[in-house]
Amino acid sequence: MRASARVVGGGALLLVALVAFTPIAETLHGGVEPPALSPADAIVVLGSGVMPEGELTDNSLRRTVHGIRLFRQGLAPRIVLLGPAYHGAVEAEVRARYAADLGVPVAAVLVEPEGISTRDEAERVLARLGGRRGPSIILVTGLQHMARARRVFEREGMTVAAAPVLEDSLRPQKPQARLALARAIVQEAIARAYYRMAGAS
Amino acid sequence: MDSLYLLLLFALTSVALVAVGARVLGLRATSLRGALARVLELSGFTVLLTVVNVAAGFLLVLALRFLTGTFVSLYLNTDAMLVLMSVLQAAALQWWIASRDGDDG
Repeated sequence: MRASARVVGGGALLLVALVAFTPIAETLHGGVEPPALSPADAIVVLGSGVMPEGELTDNSLRRTVHGIRLFRQGLAPRIVLLGPAYHGAVEAEVRARYAADLGVPVAAVLVEPEGISTRDEAERVLARLGGRRGPSIILVTGLQHMARARRVFEREGMTVAAAPVLEDSLRPQKPQARLALARAIVQEAIARAYYRMAGAS
Repeated sequence: MDSLYLLLLFALTSVALVAVGARVLGLRATSLRGALARVLELSGFTVLLTVVNVAAGFLLVLALRFLTGTFVSLYLNTDAMLVLMSVLQAAALQWWIASRDGDDG
């Protein structure tokens, strides 16, 4: 058992060193191409967290601003802002206040704070956008999360155009940032496998 | 550059550590190999226990969702603290096995 542990440990340390000190995570990711977007029925901005103080987390703010920019470009008449309550603050409501402050008409904003998973959010968005007829949406979420989220929304019958938000640099220079990127890639790969097993994508 | 800096720092302090160990603490250079093997062992046990902890956490979250009907995030199991706690478990397991093998230093 100790000999096996040494082999596993050696392999793990070698892997960590490779990920931290070489651009292997960057190579694995493959990069991102800017999407060509055309008008849709709605812009859908997935949640990413809010602080107990009521301020959006960095990633949530990036997604919110990206969604508002797309709305201001006239790409959809409605914007759906998602995000549940964390520690008493409701992410979707905080985002709606940002949208109002940045000039989005209140009537164009749909607030959806009840979703508890990407799959559940897709069902709720479909219901909010009118039910059976498959609406077209521009989906705003993190780059790592986009592939899985897109499949989940398409499975609900929506036509999805992806508008991913870069949340971590794909060319990290510091070992810690490289490890974070690798962790995000692995985490999302596991989540995709889980969704596939659960029949959600 | 950041990577090179950290690697250089690590190399410098490692060389200094070996020098202090040999000259100040009177440690034998030949026993260093065994110490490094134990480091690999600890890393291996840490990997194993991290996998166990994450898998158990995954099942626990699914069970909590099922039993309580409320949302519990699977991402709770991706906190970096879980790796540090796995290191503690791994160290305890390593020393426990070592004591069984009559190798408890």
